[in-house]
Amino acid sequence: MSIAPHTPLKGSHAGRIFVIATHAFTQLARMKVFYFLAIFAVLAIASNFFDLPQHEGPESVGANVLHSIKSWSLGAMTLFSVVLSIVATALLLPKDVEDRTLYTILAKPVPRFDYLAGKLLGVLLLVFVSLAFMDVLMTVVLQIRTAMVIHEQEAMALGMGYTADAVASLRAETLANGPNAALQSAVFAVFLRASIMASLALLISTFSTSTLFTTIVSFLIYFIGHFQADARDFYLHAGQAGETGLAHWAALSVSLVLPDFQLFNVIDAVIEGQAFPLLMLAKLTLIGIYYALFFTLASWFIFADKEF
Amino acid sequence: MKLWLKSAILAVTLLAFGAARLAYEATLTRDLQAAGLVAPRLQIGTRDKIGQTSSTVALGGLRTLVATFLNLRAYTAFSEQRWEDIAETFNTIVDLAPHTRYYWETGSWHLAYNAASYYINDASLPPLRRREAWRLYVLRGRAFLERGIRNNPNDWSLLANLGTLLSDPNKFPAFRDNNASFAAAAEAYRQAAATGKALDYVGRARLYSLARVAGRERESLALARSLFDASRRNHTPTLLMLLLVLEAHENPALDVARRAVELFDTPQKAYDALSSHWQRTRERFPVFGVSAGLDALEKTLSIPKENSILSRALPPPPTPDDWFHK
Repeated sequence: MSIAPHTPLKGSHAGRIFVIATHAFTQLARMKVFYFLAIFAVLAIASNFFDLPQHEGPESVGANVLHSIKSWSLGAMTLFSVVLSIVATALLLPKDVEDRTLYTILAKPVPRFDYLAGKLLGVLLLVFVSLAFMDVLMTVVLQIRTAMVIHEQEAMALGMGYTADAVASLRAETLANGPNAALQSAVFAVFLRASIMASLALLISTFSTSTLFTTIVSFLIYFIGHFQADARDFYLHAGQAGETGLAHWAALSVSLVLPDFQLFNVIDAVIEGQAFPLLMLAKLTLIGIYYALFFTLASWFIFADKEF
Repeated sequence: MKLWLKSAILAVTLLAFGAARLAYEATLTRDLQAAGLVAPRLQIGTRDKIGQTSSTVALGGLRTLVATFLNLRAYTAFSEQRWEDIAETFNTIVDLAPHTRYYWETGSWHLAYNAASYYINDASLPPLRRREAWRLYVLRGRAFLERGIRNNPNDWSLLANLGTLLSDPNKFPAFRDNNASFAAAAEAYRQAAATGKALDYVGRARLYSLARVAGRERESLALARSLFDASRRNHTPTLLMLLLVLEAHENPALDVARRAVELFDTPQKAYDALSSHWQRTRERFPVFGVSAGLDALEKTLSIPKENSILSRALPPPPTPDDWFHK
């Protein structure tokens, strides 16, 4: 592993992190992880065929198929990105130990933080590239299908004598369910969630003894994290239902320790045609960065003087 | 640094980090809920119905994906005419995706139209049970749609669908008080139009329902006049006819034949329109002054008494008694 001579960041933290990140990315890409993109392509195309019979006038034509494409695609993106971020991160440290690469790197003047940050960025780059590919594919399929739906609706609406205003109104409603900024924001929310999971898996892998342990614990935290909001509500409204002190403290512990993954479930609302204001996206990004930074720093704290 | 000390520092930092974000997350959750971006929590009943695996998937942020699968399952139930399964599946679907119009409309359509119609022809049941099953499913379809409207109060299409159901000649006999159901249909159409997103037929449909509410003729006439003046597209035969009969109700001395010719251009067209309206007994539109107008126009057009529309038998109004005799 060496930095190209023309790299201006040579010898800097950023330069080292960049080199380790690209190496981690290449290492993961060689594990043929991108093959799943073919499965995604099949899913995105297959979701086009769930066009069930309609019961209404022009306003309902194709309504279901657009939802179907979005929910299949975003669902697959969520699953792939979470699985990829957990498994890829869980693999990295044990694999470096097994290949003895870790000893070579740490024997050089590479700060351990740079090593961890580089590995994490490599995984995030992999997730980002995968999501970007899936996003492009989903957008293209959705764009084509939306155009087909609008054409079908307009033909039916004109046949039924709808006015130009009514046709324009129908068109606007359908476009709200097509590819738009809210959908791209939802994909970004998927990336944020995957980033949190990757940094959390990194933290676990710094004290874990096996890949399997890291993977299982990460998935458990992922699912329990979806109940965090319930625990927080329970804690914040404690004392209203005569619950015990133990339940109160248990709820507080869950709220403080686990991330709130419900926040990232905004993708459901976007699939249903809801707008996603930029301010909300910014707030969500802030909490995502907060989690990712904290878990990375905590990983470094554990990893800093770990003996191998 | 010793491991126990390190672990203790990490634990304390984790708690401090958690405490620092707690209020922010609670506020963000409220903001996202207010913006309609985070759905209400999944009910325990729904978790049970969709099973452990789907529940896990739904909790993992893929509620709409589970709803999509369930919609496919509901379609299978529809093709096999398992109406109770359809009702249950759609209840679960709308818990998972409460803001998707399509699911509310499709669920209501299956219940009020498909399931209800199925029982009209179900030869395996005695007439009384078929009638009750038909009525029950129409009411369930209505209740489902009303629940959808409570969840999506600004959705014009759900409101318009409710108006259509309540004023449908094949459905309104299921409601005990037709005056109340026509009034509810008119109100649903009014609310749909008030969203500002509704198609223009909604305004006319509101009049068609309101005109059938006994005691609200004056209000109906004002609406008919405003629609008539608003656009030539509103000059549909039904709207022109309702304008005429409502004017006749307001002014019993009105020369209906003359006014009909004004509205429909020629005596023949006026006669055809009045004849058609006279025979539309299924819809239960008001007929104030129509027989007098027909009588006068028959004289103008020299139509012999034996050919008079007034001497022909009227089609009987729809009643479930007829449907369930067979």
